[in-house]
Amino acid sequence: MTSAHATCRAIEPTLVAAATGDADREASRRVDKHIARCAACRADFARYRMIERAVGEIRDDDWQAHDDDREARAQLESRLADLRRRVLVYRIFPSPLGNILIARSDHGVVLVEYLGRGATLEASRLGRRQDVDMVEHGAERSADGTERSADGTERSADGAERSADGTEIAALHRELLDYLAGRRMRLGWPLDFRLARGDFDRRVLEATAAIPYGAVTSYARVASAIGQPTASRAVAQALRWNPIPVVVPCHRVVGSSGALVGYAGDKTDLKQRLLAIEGVRTRRTAHDYAIARDAMYARLEDEREYCVPSCPGLSSTSLARLTLYGTRETAEASGLTPCSTCRPDLHPLAV
Amino acid sequence: MEDPFDALVAAHHPEIRRYLLRLTARASEADDLAQETFLRAYRAYRSLPSGANTRAWLFAIATNLFRNHFRSERRRARMQAVVHVAAPARHGESAENEIAFQETRAVIDGVVAGLPVKQRMAFVLRKIHDLEYDAIGQSLHCSADSARAHVFQALRKIRRTLDLTATPRTETVP
Repeated sequence: MTSAHATCRAIEPTLVAAATGDADREASRRVDKHIARCAACRADFARYRMIERAVGEIRDDDWQAHDDDREARAQLESRLADLRRRVLVYRIFPSPLGNILIARSDHGVVLVEYLGRGATLEASRLGRRQDVDMVEHGAERSADGTERSADGTERSADGAERSADGTEIAALHRELLDYLAGRRMRLGWPLDFRLARGDFDRRVLEATAAIPYGAVTSYARVASAIGQPTASRAVAQALRWNPIPVVVPCHRVVGSSGALVGYAGDKTDLKQRLLAIEGVRTRRTAHDYAIARDAMYARLEDEREYCVPSCPGLSSTSLARLTLYGTRETAEASGLTPCSTCRPDLHPLAV
Repeated sequence: MEDPFDALVAAHHPEIRRYLLRLTARASEADDLAQETFLRAYRAYRSLPSGANTRAWLFAIATNLFRNHFRSERRRARMQAVVHVAAPARHGESAENEIAFQETRAVIDGVVAGLPVKQRMAFVLRKIHDLEYDAIGQSLHCSADSARAHVFQALRKIRRTLDLTATPRTETVP
């Protein structure tokens, strides 16, 4: 090569590869044959071998712990902790109820939002918030220009297994669609109430989350459940801002008259559809829907029994004191037994 | 360590930081870029297809960040050679060979620090961090063959510099 012989020039890249551990056996054999005849290339080869050895030492030195590793790591951890608090991963997807946005933090689902026809973050109530860092699921890779396909060389020792916790957005999406199709009765998602407006709202959301599938109760009843029986209007306001509808089933809470009253602003028809999925019957009224309470089983306050609606005294009882169940199964799934007076087990409601 | 991203940080932060330390002139820059690499990775790692080569992906993010940083720095300051601690003397080496060997290390450090940025990144990714050529190509937005050519060019420059500086000697191939 130092002599610019054509053969030497041609084999030079292969020679370098062979000397630095980058060539296959066939190429190495060709190089061996060449340097057996060519002293100049033999010297070059030896020199490349020495370079390779020196590079190996540099590499080994690099692997010795640096004194400032720990400090650098601590700085990173502190910035990461801050980022973890702010990042919400979200995805917008179509559903039978229009476009829905789901967002989650490391702790759980933070937001389920009806966007209607809106399909971008700007349509979301999080689009304007400064204290969150919204990351669209699936969008970040190409934005970094670092997208790469699986190449089969993944080292399992990396410990970088993802998607294993069942709370990835895609899984949430599937489960929600199953729920809306009536194929799933529970969304056992971890929840993060960070968007609750305050402690009162948080308590309302937690009490509401405990209302079982297929049951309906009133704002007043939820107010009683959190120990503030006169706060039913505040309960209604808290649920109006429920950040996690469907999962925190505020659609199961209605006015004491049985009217659906409202849902996520003015989306009462969504409320009616969600109740219908759970087998709760409603009737159209002049401006609203109302629970068909004469077609539902009822439980008085904290009794352990459930009744038919015609059980003595019940039909005149305000919904403020009742929880209603669309079917006997949902009542009994909540641990209730049939009333020994009206015997809903012997005289079930006609469906 | 139940959080998968914590495991990722633990496994790769030291080597990403080493990589950036070798590319940048100042440790503070390397630390910043290494932090930024993992902050970006945190935002994106959920979107990685399962089975993706996360190590190569982290190097790619670090490389992109460094390149952007380098472009904006270039006008302000010439890159300086990165100073390395001399390795301890090795056993079983003749003194003469040891001197030649230390010369080689010094030449490598000097040449690498002066390489065009793409060659430098390719060389460091391949020879120090042992990445595959296709992964290097993806980091550098070029083909695996181009990445291989960059490494070859870097090695050839090191060898040529050695030819000019090193004392003539006979080297036995280990």
